[in-house]
Amino acid sequence: MNLFTLFISAMLINNIILSKFIGMCPFMGVSTSMDSAVGMGLAVIFVVFCASVLSYGLYYAILAPLHLEYMKLICFILVIAAFVQFVELFIKKNSPSLYKSLGIYLPLITTNCAVLYVALDNITQEYTLLETIVNSIGVPAGFMLMLCIFSTIRERLRGNDVPEAFQGNPIAFIIAAIMALAFSSLAGLV
Amino acid sequence: MQTVIAILITLTLVGLNAFLYIRNKQTPVPEGCENLKPDCAACGIGDCALRSKFLEMKEEENGDH
Repeated sequence: MNLFTLFISAMLINNIILSKFIGMCPFMGVSTSMDSAVGMGLAVIFVVFCASVLSYGLYYAILAPLHLEYMKLICFILVIAAFVQFVELFIKKNSPSLYKSLGIYLPLITTNCAVLYVALDNITQEYTLLETIVNSIGVPAGFMLMLCIFSTIRERLRGNDVPEAFQGNPIAFIIAAIMALAFSSLAGLV
Repeated sequence: MQTVIAILITLTLVGLNAFLYIRNKQTPVPEGCENLKPDCAACGIGDCALRSKFLEMKEEENGDH
């Protein structure tokens, strides 16, 4: 699989939200407005990319040579948690404006299972470093794309007359299901 | 020997986490960011860090009315 195909596959065809249903919490929670969707999306791209590369390095430099492959789950969780703490600390000290826009979402990223999924998937699929980098950008880019599309739909929904029983999360889930149905038509292209 | 190395790696990572967590808590929040409010619909997951802030915000809003 060439790198461009891998990127398109990670971003659209095997979209993490609509085909794997991973990362649904921020997808439902932070998709109420475009601003917060973009903020969260950018933060997820940065964290997923860095955490995946770090996890990849840890696995192939330490765990695999020592035959400690079974430790990958706990190690990756700890690496992700530590990295998010480091990013928050760094942003607090060096960029107050960035902290103002992203700071509130950083704790949410720690509990975002998409980050762990990408780190584990890179190892399971036996990707090379270059493929890991492409996959680690493609998957969160797909996450951000869906978050932005979904937020614009939800913004438009506010002006519509939705029946009381469907207001809020119920209608959002129905829309997500229709989007998943539409995106399932892309399955098998790659 | 492998078990010892596995424990050492885990302890190192846990230690790193604890150190960064403490340092993060000790670092003051930049000016103007003390009361950041989540623009989040609160999906209902109880252990989410934003949920408590969201509920506090809702209570304040209800108190105002």
